[in-house]
Amino acid sequence: MSTRWYPIYQRGNPQLRVFLPNFWMKLVRPHPKQLPNIVHFHCSMEMTKYDIKNYLEKIYEVPVVDVRTKINMGKFKKDVVKGYVIKEDDVKVAFVTLPKTMTFKYPDLFEKSINEEEEHAKSLDESKKNFRKYIDHNKSRPDIPSWFSI
Amino acid sequence: MNTVIIKNIFRSTTTLCMRSQKSINTAAACIVKRDFHTTKPTQDLMEFFDAKKNWPETNIRVGRAWKLDELRLKSNTDLHKLWYVLLKERNMLYTMEHECNERVRLFPNPERIDKVEESMNNIESVIRERNIAYYKLETGETGERPVKDVINLIGMPEKYQPSEYDTPKFMNTRWVRPYLKHGFINSLAVKKFRRLYNEKIHSEVRKAHNRDFNHVQHLLKRFPNLDMDTLKAEYPNVDIEKAKRTKKSRGHFMPTY
Repeated sequence: MSTRWYPIYQRGNPQLRVFLPNFWMKLVRPHPKQLPNIVHFHCSMEMTKYDIKNYLEKIYEVPVVDVRTKINMGKFKKDVVKGYVIKEDDVKVAFVTLPKTMTFKYPDLFEKSINEEEEHAKSLDESKKNFRKYIDHNKSRPDIPSWFSI
Repeated sequence: MNTVIIKNIFRSTTTLCMRSQKSINTAAACIVKRDFHTTKPTQDLMEFFDAKKNWPETNIRVGRAWKLDELRLKSNTDLHKLWYVLLKERNMLYTMEHECNERVRLFPNPERIDKVEESMNNIESVIRERNIAYYKLETGETGERPVKDVINLIGMPEKYQPSEYDTPKFMNTRWVRPYLKHGFINSLAVKKFRRLYNEKIHSEVRKAHNRDFNHVQHLLKRFPNLDMDTLKAEYPNVDIEKAKRTKKSRGHFMPTY
């Protein structure tokens, strides 16, 4: 269960034991219309459905009923100036179904920080203060440039 | 005689008792210490997100990455636990970064990801060191994946790490036919590539040699009293006697008549 060394199937299917899995998963915002017990993930390309199930159950202790995966192909883009073609990375998407009783709502992370004006005023104040400090610092030596001392 | 033996036995038993007392004390200390632990309670899927108080923050301050020397002091169990802590942290950071990008926000302190990755790489290298040491002790070999020197499809030498295949090599006709018998190595395209590639390498060497030779000539022209041994050491593959005889190294001089 890692991207470093993934043994192929052998007869008898011996159990894989991995001590340091290096797979990553990120929880992404689902489509607008989605059942409340389905969670969307992006994950390492090498992960299988069983890997995803084990990863969530063993590491995060989240019960998993079903996993479906697909690979989204990255977009091909043309550079505006030079015209060469760039391809974005492919992404493996996992749709994980939780038990019926569990629900997961993707949280709104930027609820509180929406007040942009306040943020703007704060940064303006900060820069004013820094400028004041610089002026005060250089009062006795007006010819010296700002980079000369700390 | 007997008394001496009895005395010795008595002494040893008392020391044993003392020792066991000590061990009981340390065990008690361990139990007391174990009561205090800082592991977060599992929060299920919310572990993929940062702590709630960090959501509106624009600057999140964290410490440095784990160093190799610190990790070398840890036991295997500790490293194993730490690995999972870091793995969860990395997943959390990836999730937050993705969401920030989706919502067109600045991800605060992206260097956190680098720090976690550095720590994870360090753990891996420490574990690898231990594994190599163990294998060398037990079997005399490193236990690493073997590396072979092979010629690759375009005729270049390459390091190849053998990996598992579902069909054995002798049965794999698809691999043997194109690759070895009348395959790419002997093809016209590969031969042409090799010829041009060798030419490129050869001309690079030739140009470097000419450049050095010219430079030495000009040095001799400007500084006729140079220390020849130093010059020889600096440019070992330049024939200095030949450089001295050339026209370029002679310099200008006024005729004496």
